[in-house]
Amino acid sequence: MSLVYSNGKTVRVSLEVNGKKLTADVAPYMTLLDFLRKEINLTGTKHGCDDSNCGVCTVLVNGLAIKSCTMLIMQANGKKITTIEGLEDENGLHPMQKAFVDHFSVQCGFCTPGMILTAKAILDENPHATEEEIREGLHGNLCRCTGYVKIVEAIEAVRDGEYNPGCACSKEV
Amino acid sequence: MTNMIGKGAKRIDAYDKVTGKGLFAGDYINQFPNLLYVKALRSPYAHARILKLDVSKAEKLEGVVKIVTGADADVDWENFPKSAIFAKNETIWAGQGIALVAAESLDIAEEALDLIEVEYERLPHVLDYYAASVANPASIIDPEFETREAPSFQERPGEKPKQRKSPNIVGAYSLDAGDVDRAMEKADIIIEKEFWTGKKTASALECANAVARYDSDGGITMWSNGAGVHGVIKAAVCRIFKMQENKVRIIQPYMGGSFGSRLNPYVEILTVLMALKTKRTVSFEYTRKEMYTSAPSNWPCITKVKIGAKRDGTIVAHDYYLAEEIGAAVNNTFFTGRLSSSGACCVYNIPNTRMDTCAVATNTVPAAEYRGLGCPEAEFGIECVINELADELKINPVEIRLKNMLKKGDRNPYGELITSIGLSKCLQACADAVKLNEPSVQPENGPWRRGKGIATAGKQNTPLGRSEAEVRYNSDGTVELLISCDENGMGITTSLAQMVATELKMPMDKIKVIKGDTLVTPYDNYSASSRTTYNTGNAVKLAAEDCIRKLKEEVAREFGVHPSKVEIQNDKAILVGSHVQEVDIPSLFRPTSPFSQGNWGLQKGSPVVGKGIFCPAPIHMWDAKGKSDRVWNWFQYSACAVEAEVNEETGQIRIINIASSADTGNPINPKLVEGQIEGGVMMAIGFFVNEEHLYNDRGEISNSNMGDYRLPTFLDMPKNKNFASLINPDPLPDGPYGAKGMAESITIPVGPAIAEAVYQAVGIRVTGYPMTAERILQLIKEKEAAL
Amino acid sequence: MRFDNYFEPTTLAECSSLLKEYGSASRLLAGGTDLVPRLKNRQLKISTVISLQGIPELSRIEKTENSMNIGAMVTLRDVVKSPLLTGSLKVVAEAAGHISSMQIRNIATIGGNSCNASPSADSVPGLLVSDAVALISGADGDRSVPLIDFFAGPGKTVLREGEILTGFSIPRTSPFTGATYEKYTIRGDTDITIVGAGCRLNLNKQGVIESARIALAAVAATPVRIDAVEKLLAGQKLTDELVKEAGNLAAANISPISDQRATASYRKEMVSVWVRHALVEAQKRAIAAIDKSNEQSSSSVEWTYYG
Repeated sequence: MSLVYSNGKTVRVSLEVNGKKLTADVAPYMTLLDFLRKEINLTGTKHGCDDSNCGVCTVLVNGLAIKSCTMLIMQANGKKITTIEGLEDENGLHPMQKAFVDHFSVQCGFCTPGMILTAKAILDENPHATEEEIREGLHGNLCRCTGYVKIVEAIEAVRDGEYNPGCACSKEV
Repeated sequence: MTNMIGKGAKRIDAYDKVTGKGLFAGDYINQFPNLLYVKALRSPYAHARILKLDVSKAEKLEGVVKIVTGADADVDWENFPKSAIFAKNETIWAGQGIALVAAESLDIAEEALDLIEVEYERLPHVLDYYAASVANPASIIDPEFETREAPSFQERPGEKPKQRKSPNIVGAYSLDAGDVDRAMEKADIIIEKEFWTGKKTASALECANAVARYDSDGGITMWSNGAGVHGVIKAAVCRIFKMQENKVRIIQPYMGGSFGSRLNPYVEILTVLMALKTKRTVSFEYTRKEMYTSAPSNWPCITKVKIGAKRDGTIVAHDYYLAEEIGAAVNNTFFTGRLSSSGACCVYNIPNTRMDTCAVATNTVPAAEYRGLGCPEAEFGIECVINELADELKINPVEIRLKNMLKKGDRNPYGELITSIGLSKCLQACADAVKLNEPSVQPENGPWRRGKGIATAGKQNTPLGRSEAEVRYNSDGTVELLISCDENGMGITTSLAQMVATELKMPMDKIKVIKGDTLVTPYDNYSASSRTTYNTGNAVKLAAEDCIRKLKEEVAREFGVHPSKVEIQNDKAILVGSHVQEVDIPSLFRPTSPFSQGNWGLQKGSPVVGKGIFCPAPIHMWDAKGKSDRVWNWFQYSACAVEAEVNEETGQIRIINIASSADTGNPINPKLVEGQIEGGVMMAIGFFVNEEHLYNDRGEISNSNMGDYRLPTFLDMPKNKNFASLINPDPLPDGPYGAKGMAESITIPVGPAIAEAVYQAVGIRVTGYPMTAERILQLIKEKEAAL
Repeated sequence: MRFDNYFEPTTLAECSSLLKEYGSASRLLAGGTDLVPRLKNRQLKISTVISLQGIPELSRIEKTENSMNIGAMVTLRDVVKSPLLTGSLKVVAEAAGHISSMQIRNIATIGGNSCNASPSADSVPGLLVSDAVALISGADGDRSVPLIDFFAGPGKTVLREGEILTGFSIPRTSPFTGATYEKYTIRGDTDITIVGAGCRLNLNKQGVIESARIALAAVAATPVRIDAVEKLLAGQKLTDELVKEAGNLAAANISPISDQRATASYRKEMVSVWVRHALVEAQKRAIAAIDKSNEQSSSSVEWTYYG
């Protein structure tokens, strides 16, 4: 029987968010973005538009960058979600996060979570991405503050191995 | 490392932002379980009479708590900020509010909008200066302009235009310096041209958002991403809703960019309105579409530039007309053309300058501040004409500018003293960076043609009121800096912390910045007009100095020396000529016990507090000729050189190489300044090349989304190695550590530099912007046809 | 956004009967990148969403003796990365790869792009110039429709109630073939296409055009082929003059609209520009196929040049 949900009741979804398995009872017309922000209070993923033009809602679903504002929670059922909150671990910030800090790639910060995750996805798939490929991969993420210059710099620094374990990083000024 | 001035200190808020831990306004809603959500019904017509407005079906929907309309007599709509005024009998722009709904969920609020019945009678509309400023326009936005009294809080004497050429001209200013007519007669060459500019939206990524908590005493606590917690939002809330100051608390969380657009409260006022009416906690987030149709835009300018020069390039006279399109602003007391037209007086020493400026209302979304305050719009034509002069006279575009540039110590056409101008260095640096004197290398084949161009810009800094700061030196030697200026993302909290670190000679990680909470942080107007580094910076310096003075006194008393013999260095006090040379300051803060509670001095847990207040010099009212020796504080400058390529088949413009230079005064944090240069250039590329409001036949914006409103992406910037951001500071004598602000001047010269590059590439001169592909192609075809 | 019912059928038959039951109050959910924004913006109000996630056979790309079959639920990302779409079939991957941004392509589907039936759908010209056939399954059985006949208007297809687009079948074509899709926008792929020009040229070994396909996006109520240009080119060798003539003829054969993205006259002008560019590129690729065949031994002709 393929009925999942009918008027008024909720649906049970099971997914893994930032390494933690969880289940929740939700209405299926909830977007993944609303689920993250309102249902499980992970407000790091942002809401900037409603037609997937700006990119601030980007999260990783099974490692792929997805704009969560136009994905229904049901499409994430059974999948592994990574949000910005999932990057820092007991060893500290993820290299991409460190690079954004060091290279002043953050100004107002609103595009930052989506930007970091998309950048991570690009390098995960293409560890030697050129500047062109980085710009092409990221052009669905808008930024109004930085002019993109230092964002590209940070990603290239990660690509070039400046944040590998054992390297000197977070250089003091 | 105790002198942090000029150092690229890491941003103190970067960790919060890269982890998602920092909260923005919309992130607070989870803390309020019984929230009401607000949605607005908006007019689809630029001008229409409202024949019928029936909200009864919507009111009956379960979960709808309150509906407010423009007809509600108990709402002081006339005193609302312009873009938040809801329509009563007539709607004057597409996007104006018709009804405001508060409901138990977003879905219910949205459904309620669908149940509201409105009947409109369409009326003719005017969407731009050309349609609006005729003697008998098809639509008059403010028919009562002449008979209405200005609201008392915004006195601007002498601005109501005397003989209005059109009923839509609602503000005026003129300057008459020197003798333009006589000087023009002596000119060897005169260039006269008219320019237009498009209407734009700042498009900060975070939509306007407010959460207002209704407190048990009938007061309001509000988290919003608006600007100016004290000077803008709290002042407006108290004034409009006649609330006591001790019952209004405004908090500014992390804010997703402003660029000036958040300086006029709108979502905040509507949210408080609903909170007071429902006596509940209320959340209102504008949709992205509303950010285009219903949140303020920039003000486009029409300019008529007439410049007369001698054959050697000396400019002898400037006759300048400017009209600001201010949108559907009723009861205008703010716009006169003066702000924008200041761009004509910043850069060049032209004693014979005449300016005739005005403000024109149109049936479009009301305008408000947008990075540059009209100067990008105002200076475009001037710089284009100067480039054309240079071409005609066969003078190098750098030389012609240096020849006419104001110098430190000169007085500009207003009569104001120029105390700092580093523009010549900026200009040269940019010219060198793109090798301006070497013509572009053309691609071997294909439809792209390349050219180079350069331009300069200046922008005034408007004195905008008082800044206060507090520096708290805790008993463990850590420090809190309390300020209320806006952290829009430019990094001001970091630069201000650097100032404190420098004064107290302490490392940055001991300093915490507390910002933007009217209950906690002292008064500041807001961050605008690039004023914050200068204004709040001076207040912070004063507060740090006050704190140091108090610490010195305590130490001096303890050790029996004159305070001038004490130096504060981080958590140590260095004394001269005493039995003790170095004191650990925290050890002077005594813990208390019943046996030692007679301590009236330094007490553990009780910080030493330094306070600083800084007010810029007041404006000297201008005389009948529009002249004054002091209106603007100081001037920021920028130059930009561009190599662009133009596609002769499609009309597209691509930026290949760009150099931008800012005269920032001494930069407090050069990395943050670079960030402003880079961001400003990108923003400018967007609004000079692609961005504009387009309208359908209803007069509604047809591209009210972030796809069709063409904001620059990663692909619209040149490669990093072809982007030079150059800092060429000229210290501002009265700036803190010689610093001044700079984030606006950066944007201004980008457009005229691109326009000149386009001319060099394909031989056409634009007379306005955005320089869209369609317009460029049209000009190329017209040129071909004329040959 | 609200809807009352959500289904995840596991068979096409189940899906089809659900569609029939709920009729126009229902929509199929593929990647959701078109459906979800429309539901959120209340442009569309429906009672029932039927997800295709649970029907795995819709997500396959399969090569047979005479055709390449692409399932409707194959994501654009997988279309772009498919090692099977080579030679003159590369155009299908390239066209799909021009849609929007990387994040969208990670979940949007090639079938969804056609069913959404926007006149500016970028994957469609790639399929059209490849003579793709739309495979349809419904309660009354299966049928197929040449893709050029699949579109009925902006947002409208010929799918009847209860029918599902299950995929595309692309017939094998002649060996010396080159195809391309030129997407013209102001910024980049995230812009909605102003003019999209797809072109395929089937040459004979001497370089004469045996048949041509010209497919355009964003210039009419649906994606279109320009018969007049295809006829003009057949039997000719491509020259600079012929390229220019073809471009002008294409522009003369369309009546685009003006909207917030471009005016009608600009679109017309861009059609002539980009049909010219597409022709030149398709020709280059076809000649490359000929050159490659001259280097290879004849026994491997069959498969080397397939597609």
